Amino acid sequence: MVPAVPPAQRQTLGRDDIDVDVVVVGGGVNGTGVARDAAIRGMKVALFERNDLAFGASGNNSGMIHGGPRYMLNDPKVTATSCRDSGYIQAIAPHLLFRVPFLMPAENTGRAKIMFALTDAFFEAYDRYQPLKRGKRHAMLTVEEMQKLEPGLRGRMVGGFSFDEWGIDGVRLCTANVVDAHERGARIFVGTTVERIERRQDSGEVVAVHYRDRMTGQTGMIRTHTVVNATGAWAPITTSLGGIAPARARVRPGKGIHIIYDRRLVNYAITSRTIDGRQIFIAPWQNTSVVGTTDDDYYGNLDDVRATSEEVRYLVQGIARVFPAIRTARAIGTYAGVRPTLHVYGPLEDELSREHEIIDHAPHGAPGVYSMIGGKLASYRMFAEEMTDILATRFGLSAQSSTHEKPLPGGDLVIDAASLAEQMQIEPIAARRLTFRHGSRALRVAERVRERPREACTVCVCEPVIEAEVRHVIRHEWARSVADVSRRTRLGLGACGGMRCAARCGQIVAQELGLSPQVGLRQAANFLVKQAQTRAVALGPEQARQEALAIGAVRAELGVDMPAETEGLAT
Amino acid sequence: MSRRVVVVGAGVAGLSAAFAARKRGIDVTIVSAGAGASALGSGAVDDQPWEAWFSAARALGEPLRARALGDDVRAFSDALGIWDLPPADGPAPLVATAAGRVRPARGRDRGLLDVGSYRQTTVLVPRAPRAGWDADAIAATLESEFLSRRAELRFLPVDAPILRFVDEARISDVDLAMRHDEPSRLSWLGDRLREMLTNTRRACSTTVSAVLLGPWLGADHERATTLSSRVGVPVGEVLVGVGSAAGLRFEAARQRLLEQLSVQLVNGRVTMLRRVRERMEVVVAEDDATLVADAVVLATGGIAAGSIMYSPPDQRAGEDVPTTISPSFSYGIETIGVPITLALGSDRIDAGGSIFGPALDTSAWPSRARVGALELVGIEASGGRVCQDVFAAGDVVAGKRRTVLEAVAMGLRAGQTV
Repeated sequence: MVPAVPPAQRQTLGRDDIDVDVVVVGGGVNGTGVARDAAIRGMKVALFERNDLAFGASGNNSGMIHGGPRYMLNDPKVTATSCRDSGYIQAIAPHLLFRVPFLMPAENTGRAKIMFALTDAFFEAYDRYQPLKRGKRHAMLTVEEMQKLEPGLRGRMVGGFSFDEWGIDGVRLCTANVVDAHERGARIFVGTTVERIERRQDSGEVVAVHYRDRMTGQTGMIRTHTVVNATGAWAPITTSLGGIAPARARVRPGKGIHIIYDRRLVNYAITSRTIDGRQIFIAPWQNTSVVGTTDDDYYGNLDDVRATSEEVRYLVQGIARVFPAIRTARAIGTYAGVRPTLHVYGPLEDELSREHEIIDHAPHGAPGVYSMIGGKLASYRMFAEEMTDILATRFGLSAQSSTHEKPLPGGDLVIDAASLAEQMQIEPIAARRLTFRHGSRALRVAERVRERPREACTVCVCEPVIEAEVRHVIRHEWARSVADVSRRTRLGLGACGGMRCAARCGQIVAQELGLSPQVGLRQAANFLVKQAQTRAVALGPEQARQEALAIGAVRAELGVDMPAETEGLAT
Repeated sequence: MSRRVVVVGAGVAGLSAAFAARKRGIDVTIVSAGAGASALGSGAVDDQPWEAWFSAARALGEPLRARALGDDVRAFSDALGIWDLPPADGPAPLVATAAGRVRPARGRDRGLLDVGSYRQTTVLVPRAPRAGWDADAIAATLESEFLSRRAELRFLPVDAPILRFVDEARISDVDLAMRHDEPSRLSWLGDRLREMLTNTRRACSTTVSAVLLGPWLGADHERATTLSSRVGVPVGEVLVGVGSAAGLRFEAARQRLLEQLSVQLVNGRVTMLRRVRERMEVVVAEDDATLVADAVVLATGGIAAGSIMYSPPDQRAGEDVPTTISPSFSYGIETIGVPITLALGSDRIDAGGSIFGPALDTSAWPSRARVGALELVGIEASGGRVCQDVFAAGDVVAGKRRTVLEAVAMGLRAGQTV
């Protein structure tokens, strides 16, 4: 952390006409990753997030840091980087990971035998990368073996393959990064949009970043000479705030949706093909099953991306070919995100590279502004390291990145959930979920409960989430609304859709932040309606009945006109 | 031999139909397939969706006044014995919800606290270490509500040991309510609340008008009245949206009323309704019994009760397209010789323009401007009549408001005409 370069040679570090060395815009994995790396290396950092941490693609992806075997043929570098970095993430945040074994059925087509052998060779090649991320080797399986492993498997197949990937909670990953950055001195502004990146008329250099808190309306300014644009699909919008042409940070925005089913319908993730030949999957994910994903160019509102029933049916149709029981399974929600893929005109969405690149806007007349474009969850750490290396060079710092070995908050110690449950007097399942989300930081939640035993009360029964955790994420993880709490804890994302916990959560948010209780109520109502909208696109018989009951309950207890009254207020 | 009627469904609509039919000396059998919207209800007895009523009164700055009710509705309510329906033009009851709203209702389950008639007074909210009962948060939220501010009504969280045993911090609301069915336990609670009241009065000069509790005051009968007289001020429950003690009290009251009316109750799900010559046959699944009647009232509830089913064709498609295309909503009872047509409001539902069924993306849930599709769907029954000898009442009817009193009015009409 001690700079090896003499202070005089440094570009901006420690200068007194600035408040921070670098402003990172964007609270996704890339932004939080850079904030952490830069803070570790001794830079003064401020991070701005317009919506919420992991609001975009970082929190709305397949929830896996897979090695990307899909990219192995065209982009072997992506596969190698993904696998290596995936291994590092396991080392720094072991609590956030869970194994997702895959089954890939081989369809019985005309050239089945040849394809089968080719695929085997393909996985043979992928096996070479598996040790990087502690993955198991693939296995070639007969139809009988496949069905023994996954009895719901159907369709015409000649056999199949198993391979190994890791699941992760992207929101928790971003949160852990930002918590660490903060503990190392970074200033964090969530729900705060950058309104303008002020630059000098003559040199084009950055002078300051002007921002506005979207909840309170409060505006402010922070002085810096360096800005990292890590805003994913929002990247061209962000550069334009600095007077840089949007085309300089162009992305190819690709919308992807997922459907969430109640409980684990499968023990293995199963791959299938859509009607247009794309590979999709159903995967057991935490206590749910997830089906994904689509990939379509998207030009709508990035602050409000939703799945449509068209997209849902397209995915269900594809999964039903290998797992027909999906038709009658109970969908409890959908989510959607927009990938910030590197811009190319012409190729189909699936053929786009998952590589990443850093754009230095100095040639565009804006020295000190950098845009991070593309990337994927599995290699976010490496991307952040590359970006921070550039910053380090700029500031004349010789410190190397250590983010591959320094544990993220909570990742330093393994906590036994069973004894934690006993200690906290909570359900073992609640304790297990708590340690999954917080790792050793669960002890801090336990400390709250020790001081105030009533905080052991369960707020969300479906997940479950206890009161102390809700208060913890508001106090220490920048949650400012019911939706923010839900993103960090999965509160209200179970089968009941938040019917029993949203209002209670709203009360806690209002208490903790000293807001009017009315704001808490409105946040709850907004959350309920938004969640209902994500479920309506995947409605089946059982969930429809649940929805009808929920509508009755919400009408009785909250009323359905709350959200409309409150437009413009925090969601 | 007297006329025989089978009422399918034992929610408020079915019960009021049975009530009205018995008044005419008709021989009535009621079939119940389990809990629906009434048994899971909140205890608010609405005659209209309250949100619009409230918004209008708020915009105009007018007080909320109760609307007139039919004599038959009042007679039914009296017979049921658990609701308080104040006279027309008087102030509307105001109930406090667990979410923290203060909202009007036309009437209420007597167990719920009505704060509508208090002004410039304080309602005490005892603290209890139960999930979902954060007295401080609930009191603060209720106090910040428009109707509380207008009446200068205060809600004050206070300490009172209202739970008697350690496990009561964790048991369900309904289980706690059942414990208060025991008289000695209820007097114990009364004593604690009285102490609380005395302490509060000693500590501050505020005028205490009432005590608000969670939905815990009795599952069999409402115990609020007994408790209130013991404590000296009205004691009542907060409203909980679904699955509260109020629903249990409805079920208990229903049991008493059916016995009093000598209506036979059959537990089971009706699977088929068929016309055989001049009579109707109702087939009950569990024991395959067939009930024969001169007429039938369908009071089976809406989607929430499982009577109307959402079953888009692609649900049955397996790995291919569906083998048959049928409408996306279906009625849970098969019928022969009884034409049942489903509608979304006034639009008849047919197989439609999509083999995958309708896109409910934006229409399923209600918004301020629009009733949700799941609230509109039902069977077509103009004037409550489906066809000769078959009537419908309550949430099963398409396009009707899903309120308790609307269901009662429809049920009574069916019982009067059947």
